[in-house]
Amino acid sequence: MQQVPLNSDENKGDPAPERSINRLPLQPGKVTDDELIFRQLFAQDPKRGCELLFRRYYTNLVNHAVRFVYSKEVAEDLVAEVYTAFWQDRVFERITTSYRAYLYQTVRHRSYNYLRWELHPSDSLDSLNTQGLSSALQPDEVLHYSELHQKIEDAIQGLTPQCKRAFLLSRIEGKKYLEIAQEMQISASAVEKLMIRALSQLRQELKGEWFVSLLLGFITCVC
Amino acid sequence: METLLIKRILFDFFDGKATAIQRKYLEEWLTNEANGETYYQYLDEWESQRPQFAVDADKALGAYQLILENEQPPVAPSKILPVSSSGLFRKWVAWSVAASVALLAMLGAYVFRSQLLYETHRTAFGQTSVHQLADGTEVTLNANSSLRVPRFGFGSETREVFLEGEGEFKVTHKVDNQRFIVRTADHFQVEVLGTEFVVYARAKGKRVFLSKGKVKLDLPQGQQLYMRPGNVVTVANSGRYRLTQAATARRYVAWKDHWFYFDNTSMTEVADQIQEQFGIKVLVPEPKLAQRRIAGNFRAEQADDLFQVLAELLNINVVKKRHYIELTTPKHP
Repeated sequence: MQQVPLNSDENKGDPAPERSINRLPLQPGKVTDDELIFRQLFAQDPKRGCELLFRRYYTNLVNHAVRFVYSKEVAEDLVAEVYTAFWQDRVFERITTSYRAYLYQTVRHRSYNYLRWELHPSDSLDSLNTQGLSSALQPDEVLHYSELHQKIEDAIQGLTPQCKRAFLLSRIEGKKYLEIAQEMQISASAVEKLMIRALSQLRQELKGEWFVSLLLGFITCVC
Repeated sequence: METLLIKRILFDFFDGKATAIQRKYLEEWLTNEANGETYYQYLDEWESQRPQFAVDADKALGAYQLILENEQPPVAPSKILPVSSSGLFRKWVAWSVAASVALLAMLGAYVFRSQLLYETHRTAFGQTSVHQLADGTEVTLNANSSLRVPRFGFGSETREVFLEGEGEFKVTHKVDNQRFIVRTADHFQVEVLGTEFVVYARAKGKRVFLSKGKVKLDLPQGQQLYMRPGNVVTVANSGRYRLTQAATARRYVAWKDHWFYFDNTSMTEVADQIQEQFGIKVLVPEPKLAQRRIAGNFRAEQADDLFQVLAELLNINVVKKRHYIELTTPKHP
């Protein structure tokens, strides 16, 4: 497996309990990055590697994905799918970046595609396959993702209080329309209207955000 | 240093508070591919500091572990083939080749699973060996024995080894009181925290001798037994067990220095011990000789050493046959 130059990890406060798995002697005074340990582990036992990678990054990845898809359930499913493909398609054998970079890139890309599909259902889903994702994202595209989730956050904050409350109850707390209706003391159809309004406002706010160049970049590198 | 500056700028940027100047700086910084890795490292750190809701990671991990266990990676995709194609046969061949390769790979992974997952220490007949495990525990293996130690996770969550034959364990006590478990065939297991004991698990039955500390035995029938130092527990293949107090530890640890310890031991038993230790089949056809009992300590690195001693001591003949050795009394004294 190809070694990637890794920058030393600065966050020594990070608990990272997985480090105890490493039985190789750690050089004194040198802080090892989790990535190196994962690499050694994957060379020996990919199954265990996948498991520890899951323990290490799952929560943070869900946290990241939810900024884009704004749904707890979708974010969890989406990240779990990335991990499943990582094991079943033996993606871990092919990646050229760090595991961390691969996972974040893939989760971002899938989140983006999900969002695009939700707000523009007419678009084709053919480009959603993310396997063989190239590491070479343009700097601007990398940064654009963060700007995108900030725009989404602004759009959500810009909703009317009623609309925002219904949206969050449904998407983050996973409540059914009927439950939301009871909680907000409105009718179920009113909840539905609020949800439709929330989505259409999101759609409106993000109109100019579907960066075509990024998508083309993905299509060319999907094998 | 620059790394601290970058970290601050990135965190500002992730928070949506970056200025146009900062953004331009980041864009240039990212043109260096190695910095892409740093970017994701900080993104991960930033995410871990800004949780948005309680993620139920344990539940998700459970589901993922099921996938890891049950869905082995190289599985041939099974798709319905389009009919009406002239190349149908060729496709069929290609698919069967793919399926066979996948099947072979799966079979291979299955067959060698134990080699992949465990490190096995083995001793030949007449040989003993000492091993230090990753947690500091020392294991002395008697002849014709094997010890399987998990390659992964040993000492981090549990300490479990699998023994066939006989071995002495000097278990290191861990600060977190982590248990050390010796499993043998037939669901017999010895569980300890930190102590010294000898486990015997061969075709004839099982036996545990405890020299120090405290151990817990899990018997096949589901019974549990606590032992004190000096206790010997013998478990017959029928499942019946007996707890006795050993007069001396020597009998149970003598093998470590290639000593045979006989104490009112019948010749049948001596023959069994030779077979266990050296892999040589020994027959004692005369009932009278078979019932003779002997006592004493004998050092024997090879079977011949012991035969020589027995021949002199009992004045018997040692006859080498093709597949076994026969002990008989001489016809004409």
